[in-house]
Amino acid sequence: MSNERKPLPIVEVLNLRKRYRSTEALRGISFSIGKGEIVGFLGPNGAGKSTTLRILSGLVAADSGEAKVCGVDLAEEEGEVREHIGYLAENNPLPEDFRVIEYLKYRASLKGLKGSRKRERIKSVLEICDLERQISEKRIGNLSKGFRQRVGIADSLLAEPRLIILDEPTIGLDPRQSAITRKMMERLRGEVSFILSSHILSEVEACCDRMIILSHGQIVAEGTLLELQKKFIQSVAFEIVSKAKKIELQRSVRRIDPQCELLQDDPVEITGRRRFTFNCTKGQETVELILRTLLESNNFEISEFQVCRPDLETIFLKATKQNWQEMDLLGRGKNKIFKPQN
Amino acid sequence: MIKGYWVILRFELFALFVSPATYVASFYFLALLGVGFRFFIESFVLTDWILPPLASLVVGLIFGAPALIPFLTMRSFAEERRLGTLETLMSAPVSNLGIVLGKWTASYLFFIFITIASFCFPLIISLWFPEQSHSLGFDRVEQWIGTLIFLLIFGASFSAVGIFASSVTNNQMVAGMLTFTLLTLYLSVMMFYFGENIDSQFTNGPTQVVWSCLGAVFGGLNKMQYFSVGIIDIPTVLYQFVVTFYFLILASTQIDQVKK
Repeated sequence: MSNERKPLPIVEVLNLRKRYRSTEALRGISFSIGKGEIVGFLGPNGAGKSTTLRILSGLVAADSGEAKVCGVDLAEEEGEVREHIGYLAENNPLPEDFRVIEYLKYRASLKGLKGSRKRERIKSVLEICDLERQISEKRIGNLSKGFRQRVGIADSLLAEPRLIILDEPTIGLDPRQSAITRKMMERLRGEVSFILSSHILSEVEACCDRMIILSHGQIVAEGTLLELQKKFIQSVAFEIVSKAKKIELQRSVRRIDPQCELLQDDPVEITGRRRFTFNCTKGQETVELILRTLLESNNFEISEFQVCRPDLETIFLKATKQNWQEMDLLGRGKNKIFKPQN
Repeated sequence: MIKGYWVILRFELFALFVSPATYVASFYFLALLGVGFRFFIESFVLTDWILPPLASLVVGLIFGAPALIPFLTMRSFAEERRLGTLETLMSAPVSNLGIVLGKWTASYLFFIFITIASFCFPLIISLWFPEQSHSLGFDRVEQWIGTLIFLLIFGASFSAVGIFASSVTNNQMVAGMLTFTLLTLYLSVMMFYFGENIDSQFTNGPTQVVWSCLGAVFGGLNKMQYFSVGIIDIPTVLYQFVVTFYFLILASTQIDQVKK
């Protein structure tokens, strides 16, 4: 048990279930999100990400289970929950005929903001989302996708919510605009909790504290990137740039981990050094031990050492593949059960 | 209970007033009504019209409503559903009933605006031709109040039908056609029973209660003879209120279905 005090949960979900006719969208998921956390929701299409986010924002009712936002039960006080939430829907639907400023004023009024606070908040979100005066006077229908997305984010920030739910916020945005969205989240990190659903794994990897991977309505993986790496990727690849001879280096490495395999051995241009890539199945700690031993021996003239961490894409594919295989097996089992007897 | 009502009402009114379609519809409607009223007044002595001449304006507005109401209501939910903004709206701390009532009130207020504008025709006659106005009975305040109330109660129920039609589809045209069909059907039934005493067909038992209720709703046009002379028939007011309430609740339930 760690002594670190966990932040108060802003979102608590327990055994949430949802069915759309014959499709089971959520099969009893449970998770919690702490204050100020940025959590990435990942999953293939139809995994149940949007359904979860829509339930949390009070747009869809769950069939069973419990969901609390800021300690308020969604089933009992749906209206109150909405006061704590800023929501950016997938595809970010906006009325085309309105000017940005008109729309934000309307949304601020809907969210109960009045007078000077309303003006102050609108000014603040326009600044946070980089929507300068010229843009705020334009009609929404005439804005580019990036600016429309910023208007949607500005709307979600208006009432200073404690939880912001962003469903695919950077879809269709260019890298600069995506960076602005990330910058906005960074600016609010610690103050506001974020749930970010995205297919852009690099983005989730870059800005989320924790990830929840969904597949077939179930949580198949949850944790920080490091925790997921440990859970799903057992072997660790590492690179050493050294003047040492291949056999000597390999022998030294194998003394610590006999299963450690040399994957690649390439020369490094004209330096006379070589880049060796090993694969260790015993995990990060063994890799660190190998490095310490090699550095202490002073015989290998190591100039570079790098652990090649598996990226989120590898983890995502591995986590969802496992679930797909399980579901496939279940499906086959079902077919067998209901196969008519000839 | 009706959280967000005033904000939505303001927004919807603004949307109606900035929409060119509303102005075009209102202009043509008022122009046609004005021309019809002028010809009716001119040839009034030649007709066997038994109601006060002011009632002709009511007939024009009531039978023109299937063409006018769709323009005021078809956008309200259908457009929001098409664009997906209904979801954004529902993510704010507002109640379903607040949304439905806000949108209905906006279209109803516009209907009232058109009704008042149409009352300018007899008003102009009263101001410019006081003698003719006197002979046509335009100087009787009770007639003005009665016909206005009659139009207001029917306008409320017609707008509610329009709001309901808009809530069942995400296509504005379909919503408009559905409103037109429902209102035409409603008026046809009322015309069918015009001049008949429906509830007298059954003398006792629960059938009479049902027929008496239906009779009051379907025989609404019959009551025009009372309203046009300044007699307010309270049951008719209440029955139209029930129709309004019923269709608004249906619309609210329909919006609730989006959540399922």
